[in-house]
Amino acid sequence: MKPEDKSVKPHGITPMWNWKITATSAALVILVGLAAISFGPINLSFAKILKSLLGFHGGLSGQDRTVLIDLRLPRALLAALVGAALASSGAVYQSVFRNPLADPYLLGAASGAGLGATIAITNTHGDIYRLLPVFSFVGGTLAVLTSFFISGKFFAEPQSLLLSGIAVGSFATAIQTYLQQRHSASLRPVYSWILGELTVANWQIVTWSSFYILMAIGILFLVSKQLDGLMLSDEEAFSLGINPNRLRVIAVAAATLATATAVSASGLIGFVGIVVPHLVRGITHRVTNRNLLTVALTGAAFLMLADLGARTLLSPAELPIGVITAFVGAPFFLIVLRRRRTVQS
Amino acid sequence: MILVDRLDVTLSGKKILTDLSLSIPDGVWSCLVGPNGAGKTTLLKVLLGNTPYSGSVTSNGEEVFRSHQRNVAFVPQQPHIPQGITVAEYVTLGRAKKDGWGNESTKSRALIAEILELTHLYGMHKQLVSHLSGGEMQRTLIARALAQEPELILLDEPTSALDLHHQIEVLNNLQFLQERGVTIVSTMHDITLAAMYAERIIVMQSGRVLAEGDAQEIIHSAELRKAFDDRINVFTLDSGRPVIVAKKDGK
Repeated sequence: MKPEDKSVKPHGITPMWNWKITATSAALVILVGLAAISFGPINLSFAKILKSLLGFHGGLSGQDRTVLIDLRLPRALLAALVGAALASSGAVYQSVFRNPLADPYLLGAASGAGLGATIAITNTHGDIYRLLPVFSFVGGTLAVLTSFFISGKFFAEPQSLLLSGIAVGSFATAIQTYLQQRHSASLRPVYSWILGELTVANWQIVTWSSFYILMAIGILFLVSKQLDGLMLSDEEAFSLGINPNRLRVIAVAAATLATATAVSASGLIGFVGIVVPHLVRGITHRVTNRNLLTVALTGAAFLMLADLGARTLLSPAELPIGVITAFVGAPFFLIVLRRRRTVQS
Repeated sequence: MILVDRLDVTLSGKKILTDLSLSIPDGVWSCLVGPNGAGKTTLLKVLLGNTPYSGSVTSNGEEVFRSHQRNVAFVPQQPHIPQGITVAEYVTLGRAKKDGWGNESTKSRALIAEILELTHLYGMHKQLVSHLSGGEMQRTLIARALAQEPELILLDEPTSALDLHHQIEVLNNLQFLQERGVTIVSTMHDITLAAMYAERIIVMQSGRVLAEGDAQEIIHSAELRKAFDDRINVFTLDSGRPVIVAKKDGK
């Protein structure tokens, strides 16, 4: 390493984070968001929406204003929050478990939440939907804690945590199916909840879920750069100043909080946690967690777009949003995978 | 100078290192040799500072356990190779401790370019690490360790997966470092290579140190043969270089 070598230009060694990609995804969120609050059974004009939102004169009035403020806006915000939560937890789970197929429902959060919701629906009468999020949040969190408890030493073997998550998930699903069959009258509400829905969105749900989801995503952003270190062996990570096990516990706890909140607010919306992180990686050719902001923004845009489809494709009827995410997500995912393989070889 | 005094290590109820004492001088390449299960890798992890122990292991007077003050690089025998990460990105991870995670300064990028050149990886810095050959991968691991600019570099069997040509290439890279004042501690199964490169050899068996000292003296010692249950022969070539081979059928 001679002194004159210091002047060597680091040709082609690109920075690991690219602000242009993040800015593009942010622009996408705004565009899709605007489309989501504008289109529906009643189409609202962009100009009037902007005037209303910014408080200028000449905005929407009467029924149109109610549609915007009380229906479309909370729904689009909830879709954005849930999409960001599922996409960023998916990306974090994938790097913590060193498994590209890891998904935010992996540790039993989804099945536990499903069981909680089913218990609520089958054991009560009347308007339970206000309490549904509480039940499913408790169920999801309990299931994840059980997975941790069963797998013993937290991260002695990340794989054992995965396996106990699968076992706990199957157990919760079994009980849930049993309850569902015993109370066949409630089959339909349980089923539609499982498919995922944003129809229940209102400002109350947006407020409490944004509190938990933004807190969890904030924690994930704080540790996201260090998560790159978990791609290495524990010894190498330690040598770079990381406490690998502590980092994993923090990351999984925050990702689970985000997932459980998302599930309790909107039911089970599949595919977002896997498709979006891989989509971002496929486009940016970056595996690193420095994309977490991009992943969260893309997740928000993806789910708002899917919800727009769910509301408008069979209008005035609605499709479950989970159907849209899988229907669009799966083929798109395959295209990205194929493209990636071509680029690599 | 690292001083190990009456070190005991027990992992999952099994005693791995017993009453072990030795010293590792600065700026020298020390090599741990001994049969499988001697505790060489465990000793490396103790020196790294992430394995609990009883007794004392001090580096310049400071206990090493959980100490993040030191700058120590570790090259594992079986690395985790992340999917979809390029050579340049992988090597850049080595800057994380010095620059802070996510802050690879322009200065570091110049340094990384130098290191890639030194390890003959410059042309392939955009390739995926998972697509490299064994020798290239090992050089990438070492390049990442170099990017740390460590005071001490620990290597677990750095040559075991390589062919003869690549073994020499990797060891030459390490020698280049050692000549610039970096302390190196490695384990190595190939004692002939250990004697060619390391200045000091530490002979281990069943969690104890049988002998430590100047490489050329240790090679011809009875303790080395004892560590391998007298199943090795030591020959000396005309050039004076020692060659160690396993005995076949006791001969």
